Amino acid sequence: MESPARIGPSGAVGTWAVYVPSASAPWNLRRVVHLHRRAGFAATWNEIQRDLRDGPQASVDRVLAGRASSAGVPEEFQSTADLLGETAVASGDPARLKAWWIYRMLFGPDPLTERLALLWHNHFATSNLKVENLGLMRRQNELFRNLGRGLFGDLLNAVVHDPAMLIWLDAPSNRKGHPNENLARELMELFSMGIGHYTEHDVQEAARALTGWSLEEELFAEVPVRHDPGQKTILGHTGPWKGDDLVRMVLEHPATAHRLTGRICELFLSEPMLSTADTRALADGLRARNLDIGWAVETVLRSQNFFADRNLGNRVMSPVQYIIGAARALELFEPPSSTLVLAEWCSQLGQDLFYPPNVGGWPGGRSWLTTRAVIGRANYAAALVEGKRVGRPGPMKVLALAERYGEQDLVAFFTRLLLGTDPTPALRTRLETDTADAGRRAVARILAMPEAHLI
Amino acid sequence: MVTRRDFLKHSSLLALAPTIPGFLARTAHAAAPQRDRRILVVLELNGGNDGINTVVPFADEGYAKHRKTLRLPKDRLIKVNDEIGLHPSLGNFGKFLEAGQLAIIQGVGYPNPSRSHFQSMATWHTARLDPEEHKGPGWLGRGLDAPGRRSSALLVGSGPPPVAIRGRRCSAAAIDRLEDFALDSGIDPRKALAEGEPADEMAAFVQRSMLDAYTTADRLQRLAAIPDSSRYPQSGLAARLRIIAQLLKGGLDTRIFYTLQPGYDTHRAQLAPHSNLLFELSAALKAFLDDLAAAQLADRVVVLLFSEFGRAVRENSSGGTDHGTAGPVFLAGANLRGGIVGGTPSLLDLDPNHGDLRRTLDFRQVYATVLEDWLGLPAHAALGGSFEHLPVFQS
Repeated sequence: MESPARIGPSGAVGTWAVYVPSASAPWNLRRVVHLHRRAGFAATWNEIQRDLRDGPQASVDRVLAGRASSAGVPEEFQSTADLLGETAVASGDPARLKAWWIYRMLFGPDPLTERLALLWHNHFATSNLKVENLGLMRRQNELFRNLGRGLFGDLLNAVVHDPAMLIWLDAPSNRKGHPNENLARELMELFSMGIGHYTEHDVQEAARALTGWSLEEELFAEVPVRHDPGQKTILGHTGPWKGDDLVRMVLEHPATAHRLTGRICELFLSEPMLSTADTRALADGLRARNLDIGWAVETVLRSQNFFADRNLGNRVMSPVQYIIGAARALELFEPPSSTLVLAEWCSQLGQDLFYPPNVGGWPGGRSWLTTRAVIGRANYAAALVEGKRVGRPGPMKVLALAERYGEQDLVAFFTRLLLGTDPTPALRTRLETDTADAGRRAVARILAMPEAHLI
Repeated sequence: MVTRRDFLKHSSLLALAPTIPGFLARTAHAAAPQRDRRILVVLELNGGNDGINTVVPFADEGYAKHRKTLRLPKDRLIKVNDEIGLHPSLGNFGKFLEAGQLAIIQGVGYPNPSRSHFQSMATWHTARLDPEEHKGPGWLGRGLDAPGRRSSALLVGSGPPPVAIRGRRCSAAAIDRLEDFALDSGIDPRKALAEGEPADEMAAFVQRSMLDAYTTADRLQRLAAIPDSSRYPQSGLAARLRIIAQLLKGGLDTRIFYTLQPGYDTHRAQLAPHSNLLFELSAALKAFLDDLAAAQLADRVVVLLFSEFGRAVRENSSGGTDHGTAGPVFLAGANLRGGIVGGTPSLLDLDPNHGDLRRTLDFRQVYATVLEDWLGLPAHAALGGSFEHLPVFQS
């Protein structure tokens, strides 16, 4: 029997066993920065120092408990966020709804939940381009927040009954005798099992099972006269299936646990690092626990895999992570940047919130780095320290931030804060800091280093 | 197969990329196979272009019969043959045709044509006849979705990318100004890059992406700075085509560009505005093709011009035309087998079902030809069927 500290959540073993600092994998600046960038939107210097002191268990506890971010969180955060959301919907202006979400990510105490909401916004990618209803888009977004760490079955059921999703995937036009396969196909291909685990015939039959699902006054409604009550054979099971039977069948399919594992690992780990055995162990664990997303998230975040050397700094940050992370780490809270402008930067850099490019979501990874996005990232770094083009009244006081923490060496301080590493001598020769202007330029250049785009 | 990116990746030139002289950069270009680098520019004539007054069937007795106030005098037309002539504003089109750089595809439409702008445009964009499928991806988006393709499409204009270039997997973006590709002069982000490639594979990839992007930004900036020998007229369309040309010269790896010219919904007093639209189109297209030729890019680019429908054969009582059915589609470019494709629809022998022009060709034949013969993308899945190709490209 291993000591309790070495046993993962609910007994995870092997490479999913709990990370314990060692000489070869010490609890250091790099790993604290890694935790906050992978499971959140980067940490401030104080938060980093706090976690360095408290060790991995307490630090991951805080992430899971929704208390990872302490700096910049207003006392009235929740009520302000709600008010912003309501007024955004009332205004009918999509830019304000995007700004609402940016506000939640930049000023909220619980970055993990927002990261998971982003994951589900991508997994169940729905665009307001077609939905054209901000109230429904917000409702769907809250669903990702509220159910995003619970049982996947609850989440999937809620999403396929969600009005924005029903509009997005043409559920109302799927009627007896006039099937529309859109929702059936994506439910199988994108939301659950993944391609290769069903046939075209399954899709056709699944579409029949879903006939009659519709909307009334912006709420889910079943229209019995539009439902095809006949026998259907789906995934080898024959019966007079309805939509809910279909969802149950795909949830029970082993490929769904596997695909869910892939999605969670995609969020926290670098793609090629997992062995088949690792993946299978996590997928089996998920199946044994009724697809409990929270369990899988905790298992991964506490694991040796998560803190392994080969998992450090080898994923490309999404635009939202880059934009929010830089603003958070540099503590640009007061006066704050304009959340409207930050949302516009996200869009410029290729991640237009509430407007994913298609039903497959953002391809992510290396494909974030298009020509336009790379230029945009360098421009954002410059704009952030200069202030005006992110809606702040003036330039950032870089020296003041370093001095607040008793640091005189600007290059060293900002490299540690933003990259979690010490500056190389070569970097020092490239960055001058002798004036306030030069200091700001140096910070922007650190943000434009290849390593600053990797987590 | 070696792509430009691979070439650069394995090239020791890379570390020098910021200072690669132009001739070496061109060599890097030349290493790529032609097929992967062919470009399609789609130009949407929005509103429903009056095809009958664009490619004018002057010899058809129905022309004088149905077009009283709108009839264009025969002697002012750009004569194509004994039966048809181009609108007088399309002088440049006549020259393209002589040079074998223009294909006029006549009578293009689809079964049971809709006279709704929205529905007909959706049909053209999705290449699907069933309105139930009009909310799905577009024909070019589906083409780019094909397995193993990693390419993107770009709208040059305002608003979200149009349905035509949206797929389930491929990425579509929109820009309306070249400044989106301009690097802030405040910081030189190259100072943030290591000399030589970082040892870490991922960091090396990011650094390469950055060098690539900064090089494109620099090229675009240099292009903007040097006096441009290209002469674009003053019009929104010309400005958008110029942006596309600049992006191509800058080496952007987008294969499909989309832009549009609005204003073709000419229900009343049509003569002058239609003439102006076609003049603007003709002048902008000439400037674009000349610009590409001077940059030695002409053989890589084909422009497709289409409209959601033609206009009614009979003019209305306001000196305009109402929504019609089939119309001409144009392809322009240096790599074409130019000429007239498809029969001229008769203005007397109309379709009994809708009382308007019969189509002689299906629009999906044009799409299939462009997808497979020009872009090398599989057409069957994109179009939901197989369609006979048109002989418009040099094989």
